Amino acid sequence: MEPRGSSGVGSGNSGTYTPEIAESLRFEEEIQSLIDPSFDASSAAGGSFTALLGLPANQAVELLHHPGPGEPPASAATDTLRLPFGCSSTFVERAARFSVFATDDSPASSSGGGLSPGLKAEPPDSDSPPTLPAPAGKPRRPSKRKECEKSKAKAVAKKSKSAEENTSAAKPAAEENTSGDKLPYVHVRARRGQATDSHSLAERARREKINARMKLLQELVPGCSKITGTALVLDEIINHVQSLQRQVEFLSMKLAAVNPRIDFSGLDHILSAECGPLAVASGCGGGASDPAMWASDTAASTGGIRRMPAPPQIWHLDVVHPQQSSTVWENNGVAHPHFLLSPATSLVGYDPASSVPLNSNRLKTEL
Amino acid sequence: MRASSRFKSVFLEQMLMGFQLSGFPCRTMSLPARMHAIKLSADVAMAVARGSRRWTHGLIAHLSKKEDKSFLKCILGKQYERLTMPCYSSWKIQRCKTILRRSFRERFGKQKPAQACTLARSLVKTRAQVLKRLVPGGKAMDGYSLLDETMDYVVCLQAQVDLMRHLLGAFEASKLRAQTKGTSSQGRKSIKDETDGNKKDLIELCMHLSDNA
Repeated sequence: MEPRGSSGVGSGNSGTYTPEIAESLRFEEEIQSLIDPSFDASSAAGGSFTALLGLPANQAVELLHHPGPGEPPASAATDTLRLPFGCSSTFVERAARFSVFATDDSPASSSGGGLSPGLKAEPPDSDSPPTLPAPAGKPRRPSKRKECEKSKAKAVAKKSKSAEENTSAAKPAAEENTSGDKLPYVHVRARRGQATDSHSLAERARREKINARMKLLQELVPGCSKITGTALVLDEIINHVQSLQRQVEFLSMKLAAVNPRIDFSGLDHILSAECGPLAVASGCGGGASDPAMWASDTAASTGGIRRMPAPPQIWHLDVVHPQQSSTVWENNGVAHPHFLLSPATSLVGYDPASSVPLNSNRLKTEL
Repeated sequence: MRASSRFKSVFLEQMLMGFQLSGFPCRTMSLPARMHAIKLSADVAMAVARGSRRWTHGLIAHLSKKEDKSFLKCILGKQYERLTMPCYSSWKIQRCKTILRRSFRERFGKQKPAQACTLARSLVKTRAQVLKRLVPGGKAMDGYSLLDETMDYVVCLQAQVDLMRHLLGAFEASKLRAQTKGTSSQGRKSIKDETDGNKKDLIELCMHLSDNA
């Protein structure tokens, strides 16, 4: 591995390069950056000849003659090559000799367009967000990277968009898209061989959103994770939904067949007593759904209050008297003795005459 | 991805209320009618428990188009008018899209889709249309929101199936217990035992809910 910080300013890239060596250099550097978050890849980029040779010829020569600020910038990567040490002529010559290892493994640089070493510096950028703004002179090119490195590439602002302060923030948004909120800007990096105008970018962002959703759906539906291809996955999803709907119908038929006579009032009391604390526990854990939690809690308690008769008086919804159910329900409310189910009931202003609207009010807040 | 226990408890509560409201244990009702009532109350309970999503609105609108409006009114109370109001904006979008599509088709005629990508796209399109028919309220959704709503709908459907299965088990167990107790002891005591049996079953049901969640 080349010495850290050894920067030889080489001449610009001349045609041939051995891709394997370049690849290995890149990977070494990136692995290093992953291991050590404070890895200053600018120095290592300086150390890798590829970075140097990524510069176009004239700029490299310029750097040759004017070693520049010499010390590295305060933070990590910049776009221009910052030499950690003052470059000595020996380094320069050695670098020039090794110019055969020219550039960019990032294939973007065709002949003239040297990729800025900012590219090399970018993997560590994801770890240490750059604070230096891009130097004005260096045009930011649409970055094109190999697909294998795209995962490590952070979202970098393209030349039409804003600067790179948003990189670390925008990267999760660009790549994961699982959060429901939308950022005003989606910073993405164009892949190799893809168009970079705004339309295709937007379309690609949309496609990635859809792909993220498809992945989630694949995880949800059993047996779908091995399937590749949108159409087949959609097939599975459709089958799953249809089977669930059929199961609901079948279960409702069985429920209809099973019980001609159920003591619902007792059931509801037990339910509210059991599921009220349950709702409270889970609701407190949720936190965000406070009104809904309260609503459900009070719904449960009001339901329990409404239907629970006095303990000694057990009510049966008898088969023979179907009309009685509704009347009994109201009678329950009127003749209802006062009791406390849980502390939550004290929140409820229980009004027997308006028991129904009360419940629906609670439901309304929930919805 | 599972539904939260809060959702399940609210769902169960709502469903039992719906059962009660429909005068459910009515022997005079035929089996299909009872099944219909149960399914209706289960669907409404699911929609109410989930909250405000596009598919829930679609589901309630769909349910209100059928008969039994009075039943729905009972359950939803004041929200009935608000929830069953048709959402004109989304339908307008759908109508515009179909008109545009038709005009484009007439203008450009049929192009031979010899490429694989267009073929794949058409396959995906047909499946998306089927999915739109399945998910309530799906006709007025574009691709991304369709997938979103489908995911939500699947989670809720799974929870619904779970709940109904456990409810069925609880009822059957209580019925069995009642039958065995009925043969052994008679009179008022058996009724009380049945009640206790029901309560026990429901307690087990709630425990199961909390365990799962």
